[in-house]
Order: sequence, then structure tokens, then C-alpha cells
Amino acid sequence: MSVAQISRNEAQAPVEQREALPLRIVRRLANSRELTLFVLVVALALAMTIVYPHNFPTGPNMRAVLLNLAPVGILVCGMMLLMIAGTFDLSVGSTLALSGVWAGVVSGWWGWPAEAALLIGVVVGAVAGLINGLIVTRIGINALIATLGTLTIYRSLTYVTAGTGVTPISDSFAEYGRAADPVLRIQSPFWAMLVLVLIGGWLIARTRFFRQFYFVGGNPRAAQLSGIRVDRLILIGFVIMGALAGIAGVLGAARLNSAVVNAGVGIELKVITATVLGGASLKGGEGTVLGGILGVLFIALIENAMIINAVGVFWQGLVVGLVLLFAVSLDRFKTAGRA
Amino acid sequence: MVARLEVSQLSKSFPGVRALDDVSMAVEPGEIRALLGENGAGKSTLGKIVAGVYSRTGGEVRLDGVALGELDEKAAGELGIGIVHQEGSLVPQLSVAENIFAGRQPTKWFGQVDVRLMREKAHALIAQLGVAIDPAMKVAFLSPAQAQIVEIAKALSRELRLLILDEPTAALTLTETEKLFEIVRRLARDGVSVIYVSHRLAEIFALCNSVTVLKDGRLAGTRKVAETTTDELIRLMVGRDVHLARSASSRKTGPIVLEASEVSAPPLVQSASVTVRAGEVVCLAGLIGSGRSEFCEAIFGARARRAGEIRIAGAPINPQGPWDAKHAGIGMVPEDRKTSGLFLGMNLVNNIAATVLSKVSSGANFSNRKAEALAGNFVSELRISTPSVHKIVGELSGGNQQKVLLAKWLAMEPRLLIVDEPTRGVDVGARSEIYRLLRGLAEKGVALLVVSSDLPEVLALADRIVVMAEGRTVGELAGEGATEEQVLRLATRFTSSVADVRKEAVGA
Repeated sequence: MSVAQISRNEAQAPVEQREALPLRIVRRLANSRELTLFVLVVALALAMTIVYPHNFPTGPNMRAVLLNLAPVGILVCGMMLLMIAGTFDLSVGSTLALSGVWAGVVSGWWGWPAEAALLIGVVVGAVAGLINGLIVTRIGINALIATLGTLTIYRSLTYVTAGTGVTPISDSFAEYGRAADPVLRIQSPFWAMLVLVLIGGWLIARTRFFRQFYFVGGNPRAAQLSGIRVDRLILIGFVIMGALAGIAGVLGAARLNSAVVNAGVGIELKVITATVLGGASLKGGEGTVLGGILGVLFIALIENAMIINAVGVFWQGLVVGLVLLFAVSLDRFKTAGRA
Repeated sequence: MVARLEVSQLSKSFPGVRALDDVSMAVEPGEIRALLGENGAGKSTLGKIVAGVYSRTGGEVRLDGVALGELDEKAAGELGIGIVHQEGSLVPQLSVAENIFAGRQPTKWFGQVDVRLMREKAHALIAQLGVAIDPAMKVAFLSPAQAQIVEIAKALSRELRLLILDEPTAALTLTETEKLFEIVRRLARDGVSVIYVSHRLAEIFALCNSVTVLKDGRLAGTRKVAETTTDELIRLMVGRDVHLARSASSRKTGPIVLEASEVSAPPLVQSASVTVRAGEVVCLAGLIGSGRSEFCEAIFGARARRAGEIRIAGAPINPQGPWDAKHAGIGMVPEDRKTSGLFLGMNLVNNIAATVLSKVSSGANFSNRKAEALAGNFVSELRISTPSVHKIVGELSGGNQQKVLLAKWLAMEPRLLIVDEPTRGVDVGARSEIYRLLRGLAEKGVALLVVSSDLPEVLALADRIVVMAEGRTVGELAGEGATEEQVLRLATRFTSSVADVRKEAVGA
């Protein structure tokens, strides 16, 4: 028997030993962020149903919660992709507003068909993303600084384009954001988010193309030397992020029938919080869309609980921040268990 | 006489692993003690415990008769225990001088760092190693060898009683190694005890007085160097005989696979040419900084070329990036597996699948099942010792990581495989397996271009040796019958007239 074989057998013995059941459950929870979040979301929803039977599990409340989380949910798909690749985009809130305003201008001021307005809004978002991607990959400016710059540039362009905004836009345009399904009566932004999350989740989890993003984030130099086109993928990631911000922007504008210049202010931090909560790491290489959307759901439930409880809005940030720190500190346990 | 260092019944456990088990040894003042063992044998762990990097699980450590309690690296440093780490402990963004005096910078009034004094001191420390490195330069701009020298200078910057060197020569050239040895011998003459962790047996015989061998965390034996032999040490270390010697091969070489002519990729590659046939192992030898790795990167499309032609099986290619080279059937195992080779945070399956994503997919879908099967095959074929294909690669030993890196490129079934430093930081056992593997590949008709700074390795592997100096290919030798002296003479005797050297090489 060779040395390699002996050491392999020895290595197997201690690692595969079964632990006590409770410990195994804890470890499993710690090792799968999705599972942890899922358990937390279900527990929180159950607790709220029991504590606030008249406020929480009602149709209007549920609809409001789901509709409010739609833009963050749409953006999380793109942010997760970028963070898997080891980068991120701070300009999404400004991109969202710029797209909404352009859609508003095209439909409200110029009187073009609603479909053209939607399309142009999304294209504006994709172009904004493309510019971010070009700055990061071609000029080589760090994503934090590049998108911090475009965050203010895009917001400023929004003001320049439409001053105080476009209100009202047009009824035919508004219909795209207000249409609701006959059964649950939830408006279209939620359904758009659901479709995007399902498609995005499948693409990132299963397809060969998107699998490459994990390698880019895992070790960009090794990915490059493995024949993966790192810069091109990062560029594509930013374009997808921008287009998603565009979709969130036009749907938001349509639902309100108003392109607000202050739309999406501060949303980037909420999106990044949900993405990190959902299992992404700033170092890149890990995370799933499922985790991201569970992160969004969890934050939405906490905020809802505080609203029902009439806890001041001022306290929400404190709770969300604590939850984030708690979730990330779980990773310490995870690595300790693995070594 | 009290021993300088006395370690008794030392044990160290990591979760799930017993890294050291009941190890005792004593080192006298002025003694140079080699610590030998395969990767994972516990030799680095022992060094790190003594230097306060790790805390021990059991046992006792005495320095000049005084028992040491729990100590950290800083406290150990104050006691006169210095360590030079295997993996860099330098901060790339800071200057050489600041790294050497990290946390102990000389100060002027009000705590201001005395930059001039610090640089002067750093300069003196480096100069005694016989090297010139600008103390004001950022560490990020240093070559691996230069960074290693700075690490050593950092350890020497204190009053030392015990110096621990953990694989200090992995990145050094022969000349630099010789200089390091002189310094170590001088320190020993001054009464400093040295623990020299290495797998390189030749170095141990050249430098050390005595040698302690560890195997699987246990003491396998301590010998006086004058009274032992290479064979005995290898037996202690691996428990079997290992042959690194050249195997007489009767390989037939096929048609030319790679033909690179007058490739220029400034500043490090001036004009380099090489041909490799199917089934042939060509080694690129030369000193560190001679442009070998950069020449390979230019062939692989990872470095921009200014001039020159690259043909694969006769057809010219112009790779704009590694993806183009990969498409032409070229694979490259890079020099530094941690920074540019592996995805350390990912498991074996993903690492091995990285070059062949389309092969492990059905249509657009990535197939975990296919990727696992692929990884499983390589684990058994290359004898990678891992509990499962889902193990995180960063947790494997150096030798096994190197095998994973090779597997990643074997998976794409290259026509030409470039291997830069195939056995850097790999223990003797894994080393012989990697040699066997590379020879096996050549037998299957793969063209191999191997870069190595380890001359015995070059002589053991090469069918042909191409020597580079200052960015040019300056000579060629047949592998059979070549000697270290011949290679070195070519590598160092480069004059401005390349043609002269070429003529000499042909004459030799």
C-alpha cells in the first residue's frame, strides 16, 4: 500500500465520524445560509401570525410587503451576480431613478407608446451599467470608487433630465405597473420580480456561463489563467445589473404613474445588506440568488413587524444592522466547523 | 551545558488532526539543526509553536533552561526567537524598510518614524546578505526571491538566540542560497541556534550539523549529519525508498508541437525561441529573473507580445489571452499555485472543472454529476489524498494542491502543457509522483515545456534543456548526460553577444 493511500485512509476516519444530532443540525444550519434564512423567515412569519393575528396575515398587509420588496428583490439578482464575481455596484439607486425618469419623459412628455418607454428605460439602465463596467474593467478603477462616482453622476443626470420629475406620466404607461393578477391581486412589480428571481436563480445556479462568475470571484488571476475571460464577464455582470435597475425603475415609475427624481435613494445599501445576508462575501466566489431573495424577505418581515408594532422608523436600521452582523458572524462558526 | 532549545513531549491538535504527537528534541547553542519531513509531517507546526505563532496542546518548551509559558510571536521575538515563514508575512503595500521594522520602527521626537535611519539600517541588513534591494521600494514590486531575502533580513533585525527558517530557499537561486548559507553559518558561529526546515536533502548535508526527522507528527529519529546518508533520511521520512533519479526512457518523439521563435515581450523577454515535439520534455533553465516564466506567459497569451511568432503544429497562432491559447490546445500550470493557480476557497470539483466547463455541461447546464465524476477520476489517477472531492482545496497539503492544479490542466487534455515550477513547496514523496506523472504524459504524446529553478529536477526530467539568461534563450543541451555545471555556465555566462554563447553551447 502506498503512502498516499495510507494517508487517505487515515484522513477519512476522523472526518466522517457522526456527531450528535443537535450538533449536526446546528452545523448544517451554519453551513447553508439559505437554510438558516429559510428557517428564520418561516419562524418570523409564524411568530408574527401568532402575535399579530389581525395585522400581519391580512391581504392588504401581505400585498404591501410583497410589493414593497419588489425593487430590492429585482436588484438583488444582479448584485448577487456581481458579488459572486467579487465586485459590486453602488450606483443602482441612481440608475433606477434615471431609467424611470427617461421612461417618464419618453411616454409623458413625448407621448411615445408605453412599450417604447419601458424599453428605453431598461436600455438606459443597461447603458449606465455598461459605463460602470467599462470604467471598472478598461480603466481599471476599483468598483467601490467607480460606482461611487457614477452614483452621483447618474443622480445628477436624473435631475438634469427631468428637474423635479414627470407627474403624471400617462395612463397606458401606468397600466404596466398597476395591473394585478385576479386571484391574489398583487401588482405587476412583484410578479416581474418573481419571474426575474426564478430565471436568475436558475441561470446562476445551473448554467455553465454563469458558473464562470464563481471562478472570477474565487481567484481572478487563476480564472484568467484558466482561460476564463474575466474582464468580459465583469462587464456583462454590470450590464445585467444596470438593466435590472432599469426594470425596477420603469416598473416603479409606472406603478406610481410618476417618475420621481429621488427614487431609489439609499436602496444600494439595502440591496447589498440583503445580498450579504443571503450568503455573498465581499471577497467573492460564493452566494446564490435564493439566498439573496431570502435575505430580502427576511429584512422585509422585520421592517413589517416594526411597522405593525408602531416602533419608530428610526429603530429599523438598528435591527437590520444587528441581524446582518449576526448572520455574518455565523460564518466564523462555519469555518471553525470545517477546519 | 544547558540546551538552547529543549522541546519535550510536545503535542498539537487541530480539529480532527493531530499535527504533533509527543515530539522531543534538544538543540545546542550554535547548532544548525535540520527539521525534515514530508508535507504534513508537522515540521512547520513545530517551528511555529516554538516561535509563538501557534499555541501548543501539550508538552513543554524551554529556552536556555527557562520554561516558556503561553507566548505570542511578539513575545517570542523579544526572547530572541526569530522565524522566517514559508509563506510571505510581508505587507505588499509597505516599503521594504517598514516591513523589516514592522512595529519597531526607529523613532525621532514625538514618535515620528525616523525614515532615514530605518532605511539605513534596512540597507545594512540586506547588504550583509550580499544583495542590493532598495529599502524604500514597496514589497509588492519585489520578485519572490527578493521578498524571501527581505523576510530573512526581518528576522535578522533582532538580537537572536534561535532562528527558525521554514523552507527559506524555495524561491532562491543557487547563488542566493549560498549567501544565505554563509549567513546562517556565521550566525551559528556567533552562538545562535538555527532550526532549518526543509525537504531539500542536499541543503541539509551542505549546511546542517544534525537532523531531526518527523513523520506523521511523530519523531522518526535524530541523526548527526556526518553519520547518516540520504537513503537513511528518506527512509525515515517516507518509510520507503524513493527514486528521483533520471529514468532511462526510450520515448519516441513525434512531430513539432510548439515552435516559438524570437518572441519578445519587454521588458523581461527580449528574444526567446524554443521548439517542443510531441512526447518530449523540454526544460527551460536559468536564473530567477531570466525571463523563463514570462516567456511561457507570452506563449500562453497571458503576457502581451511585441514580436515573434508562435506556431502550434505548424499553424501560427496569435493568442490575445489564455482562452485563445487554451483553444489551441495549450495548458499552463503557473508558478504560484496559491495566487494564480487554484481557487483555494473552492472544492476539488470546481477547481478541476475550471478549465473544462463545457466538457462538464450538457447544453447550457453545468452538470455537477459530470464534474464530480471528472474530479473523482483525477483523485484516483493522481493519487490525491483527500477525504472527498468536496474538500476545500485550500485545506489540502502543498503536494496535493499541486496535483489538483495539474489535474485542472490535464482535464482539458492539452497538446502542449507548460509547467512552471512543477514541485515548488512539494515534499519528496509527492515530488517523485509528479515526475512520474509528467513522464507518463510525455509518453502519451503530450509536449511538455517545464520551467524549473531546481537543477536536479531539470536534469531528472529533461530530454532537452534550453537555458535562458536576461530574457534570451542562450543555449541548449541534451538532457541525457548534462550536468549542473554545464547548465549554470550557460545561465551565468551570458555576455552581450548572444551568438558567441550559442556557439560555445553548440561546442559543448
